[in-house]
Amino acid sequence: MIELNHVFKRYPGGNEALSDVSFAVDKGEMVFLTGHSGAGKSTLLKLISLMERPTRGQILVNGHNLGRLSPRRVPYFRREIGVVFQDNKLLNDRTVFDNVALPLVVAGITGDEVRKRVQAALDKVGLLARARGYPLTLSGGEQQRVGIARAITHRPALLIADEPTGNLDAAMSDEIIDLFKDFNDHGVTVLIATHETRHIERLQKRVIALGRGHMVAAA
Amino acid sequence: MKAYFARHIQVFLATLGDLMRHPGASFLTIAMIGVTLALPAGLYVGLLNLKQLSRSWDQGGALSVYLHHGASGQAALAAIRRLPGVQSARYISPRQGLREFERQSGFGHTLSALHENPLPGVVVIHTPNSPQALAALAAALRTQTSVAHVQSNLAWLERLDAALALGHRVVTILGALLGFALILILGNTTRVAVVNRATEIEVIRLVGGTDAFIRRPFLYTGALLGGLGALCALILLELCLLLLHGPVHSLALLYASKYSLTGIGAGNACKLVALGTVLGWIGARWAVGRQLRPGVQ
Repeated sequence: MIELNHVFKRYPGGNEALSDVSFAVDKGEMVFLTGHSGAGKSTLLKLISLMERPTRGQILVNGHNLGRLSPRRVPYFRREIGVVFQDNKLLNDRTVFDNVALPLVVAGITGDEVRKRVQAALDKVGLLARARGYPLTLSGGEQQRVGIARAITHRPALLIADEPTGNLDAAMSDEIIDLFKDFNDHGVTVLIATHETRHIERLQKRVIALGRGHMVAAA
Repeated sequence: MKAYFARHIQVFLATLGDLMRHPGASFLTIAMIGVTLALPAGLYVGLLNLKQLSRSWDQGGALSVYLHHGASGQAALAAIRRLPGVQSARYISPRQGLREFERQSGFGHTLSALHENPLPGVVVIHTPNSPQALAALAAALRTQTSVAHVQSNLAWLERLDAALALGHRVVTILGALLGFALILILGNTTRVAVVNRATEIEVIRLVGGTDAFIRRPFLYTGALLGGLGALCALILLELCLLLLHGPVHSLALLYASKYSLTGIGAGNACKLVALGTVLGWIGARWAVGRQLRPGVQ
């Protein structure tokens, strides 16, 4: 599903965020990406979701060679993946329903299909009753769950998450990770960047560890 | 295809709703465009009125041809009628001319003291009014042996025509400049809107929205503001005409004329609204295109 071959990422100014990173994630796998802040986790996820392009190296995601993907094709590629952000990136002037519907609307899906899929996604994260509310009226954990609902509403084959539990307490954090595990049990490939080792010990999933931009361990 | 139209209608309605939710800002932009467009449109209407005025005056004879004494009036008339561009020609014999002059001038008795009629025969020619055609015809007439003098009664009209042509050019230039101003106004409005919605644009991009999808609401907003601005210009224009109507009517009465101001007309009004819409779209497209270029956001 994901394959990185000798990927380098250097930012203007000479800061090398990633240096010679190679790994592969199979279809249906759930993998944790760990490392201290500044280790390059976010950069790596940005490369995989094509928010940024590598300086060197090859990245294959869901059968696409990202280096060969023209800018015009990028939006269509993004519709094949779901991304959950640490700061959830919800639009506060839109309802929970409209936020979750966004990936469907941009893909040109209309009418009843949108309603059905959004309701299914919100039901999954346990927020169906809050559909008409606005993100700012929700708790941090609920907002993060809206973000997750938005990432899965278009049924992506790959779900990636950047510190999805970063701002949450332990109980909520476990809930969120269990949600990801549930998606994984239904066949979705999941890649989660986190610095919390607790989840890794609890779930016993494969770990890719980064340190200062280098691969530390890839079990 | 149906879904495509449904999406466009959806965006259009959402845009309309957005404008109505922020009536203050929208109104200012629309008023600004209205004033910008009202100026060239008003000048254009002024020109239309002047043109109409000049047209109502070209009913008199276009050319008066004075014949040599002793020349045969009928022969000259026949020769003149054969010239190209002569719509109609009428011969006024010296005797007829004298009678008309006596009647109109009140010098009847003085004239009768003259031993002989000093007036020449005159041929009055009507012709479709094109200054070039008129000049060509006058030149052709001067070569006739029986013709002593050719006088164009429309010289001042020619000058007016020239002045109107100049006015037309000025209005065109002004219109182009102010049209450009409209593009800039909407470009700036759009640029600010894009900056204000940077977060939304970022999120739409992250969930796979194309640039076309991101552009669409801005383009609709630009086109809508441009069209509404043009509508505002029309309202301003009609208000001005309404204010001028009374004084123009009084002035026309003093000249015993039934002249009254004409408005911009339905066709031109539609054109103005269409123009506003298109310019608004162009302004928005230009600004949003610049803002969405990679590396700008």
